[in-house]
Amino acid sequence: MSAPAIVSPFSLLDALITLASLVATLWIGVRVKRYIGTIEDYLVANRGMGLYVGAASLLSTEVGIITYMYQAQFGFVAGFSAFVTGLITLAVCLLVGRTGFVITRLRELRILTVPEYFEKRYGRSVRVLAGVLMAFGGSLNLGVFPIIEARFLAVVTGIPSRYLGWTMAGLLVLALVYTAIGGMVSLIVTNYVQYVFLATGTVIVTIACLRATGWNTMVRAVEGHLGGQGMNPVADLGWGFLLWQVLLWVALMTVWQSVAMRTFSTKDPATGRKMFTLTGFLFLGRAIIPMVWGIAALAFFWGRSEPVVAPAAPTRAAQIEEVEARLDAGFQRDLDEGRIERALPQLALVERLAREEKGPAAERAVQRARDRRGELGLLAMPWMLAATLPSGLLGLMVAGMLAASISTYAGYFLGWSAIIAQDIVAPLAGRELSGATRLRLTRVTVVSLTVFIMIWSLVYDLPGPAYFYLQVTANLFMAPTLIAVVGGLYWRRASAAGAALAFVLGAAASLGYLVPALGLDVATAGNLSWGLAIAGFVAGSLLVPSRPRLAGARP
Amino acid sequence: MSWQAFWFASFVLAFSTFSVISLLIAVRGVAEIRELFATLEEERRRKAGCPRG
Repeated sequence: MSAPAIVSPFSLLDALITLASLVATLWIGVRVKRYIGTIEDYLVANRGMGLYVGAASLLSTEVGIITYMYQAQFGFVAGFSAFVTGLITLAVCLLVGRTGFVITRLRELRILTVPEYFEKRYGRSVRVLAGVLMAFGGSLNLGVFPIIEARFLAVVTGIPSRYLGWTMAGLLVLALVYTAIGGMVSLIVTNYVQYVFLATGTVIVTIACLRATGWNTMVRAVEGHLGGQGMNPVADLGWGFLLWQVLLWVALMTVWQSVAMRTFSTKDPATGRKMFTLTGFLFLGRAIIPMVWGIAALAFFWGRSEPVVAPAAPTRAAQIEEVEARLDAGFQRDLDEGRIERALPQLALVERLAREEKGPAAERAVQRARDRRGELGLLAMPWMLAATLPSGLLGLMVAGMLAASISTYAGYFLGWSAIIAQDIVAPLAGRELSGATRLRLTRVTVVSLTVFIMIWSLVYDLPGPAYFYLQVTANLFMAPTLIAVVGGLYWRRASAAGAALAFVLGAAASLGYLVPALGLDVATAGNLSWGLAIAGFVAGSLLVPSRPRLAGARP
Repeated sequence: MSWQAFWFASFVLAFSTFSVISLLIAVRGVAEIRELFATLEEERRRKAGCPRG
């Protein structure tokens, strides 16, 4: 029980490697400024993106430190069962890429953002409503990135926590500078460079994890320390969760703004479809590889732990109380110092005793243990990296992670600011804005968004696992968006009233998860959101019909 | 096939395809970026009304 605290070996060499990668990225971003011309150049790079650069750009945007953190956390708490979400992503990507479902028709319409389609199909009010909900959900989603990523950086670099706010602010400003200067053209090029860093870092970390633990040790850790779970996704996660994941990933792969913008940026629809097939396999790695890191961290810290025996108290309830009191006294310090192996067996003991005890108090103890396991899961992977990676490799890994994060911020800044500028402000202004005005507006919203996420990141506490929060805030607008797009493209009777109702009901159900008093679990909230959005869309369209405004609907 | 073997195969598929595609991106991406810049440069010159070359 006297495990030493982990101290990161991050050195001057590591700092120099990291700094060199950041300077190179900024230099490239500034260099491509001269290629900016029209707003379309800025937003979709004159639709000139090739297959491989397109895939790199998409993945750079969709992979940040946050991605590795929440996927590793999911692997740490759910074991191999978590892999199923990666397989679902691959299947959806291949399906969308092969069939061109939604993406081909949207691209043929030559639009810049998804809400732009809503104005053409349903009218301006639906476009603004969709834009507001997208900007709201997207900002909430992006708003927790910096604080989670700051914790990763604190662990692996040894930066004192009091400087983390400034560190993240610096990174955001860096991302902001080249996003505002270069826009999509800059993103395409810098994302390519960042992807190379990111992929290198990913391979290094994976090899380090396998060397630190080994596959068989990981399997034994899952089988022995997850209470009989961790192998069968249907039994562990349930059909409801799997169904919701399929629906959400169809939406994410077709109408998620950062993905949609890449689709609109490809040379032609055929390249767009091929890009999705290629990206499907990259997204499989995006999910499963960091989940393996999380499982490796579970095995690594169980391997360092010592057995904990139940205290000699008269009843099980008293035993649970005593172990929890021990956890209360040392949990935060253990978490901050990387002594994950001290907390893990105590949590397992609480869970075992509570299962034997049964009853409401025992259930609450299990829930508290589960929450704490989640907290450990978020930081176990970075602590393992700090403990196992030597200086030099640590710098390469941090450079890769930072590259991933900056490109994610930049891609999201651009995506969400395009929505705010073009789908909320411009339509509400009631007139067509000039290209220069729209460009300025987009840049102002990028800056405002940066300020918002810095503040939100500092004041908001996550209600549960990061994976669930991020997916629910995306689901908030993804479910109604996909339904309104598919309905608009393929159902002649779809109306503005139906689309509006889908947005309101779909968003309300997702927000239910963020209100703990309602007691909605994530799968129920997610599926309810889809169910209500579909019901609202059909009912609204049948009760308040309107003539299609665009020749995009098929009978 | 046991769950254990299935998840191992999934990991091997994920890691190997990620590595191979990343290598392809690193190699072929350079040519694509050059092509993109050439296209944008041509467009810029055309808009500015300058002759090529």
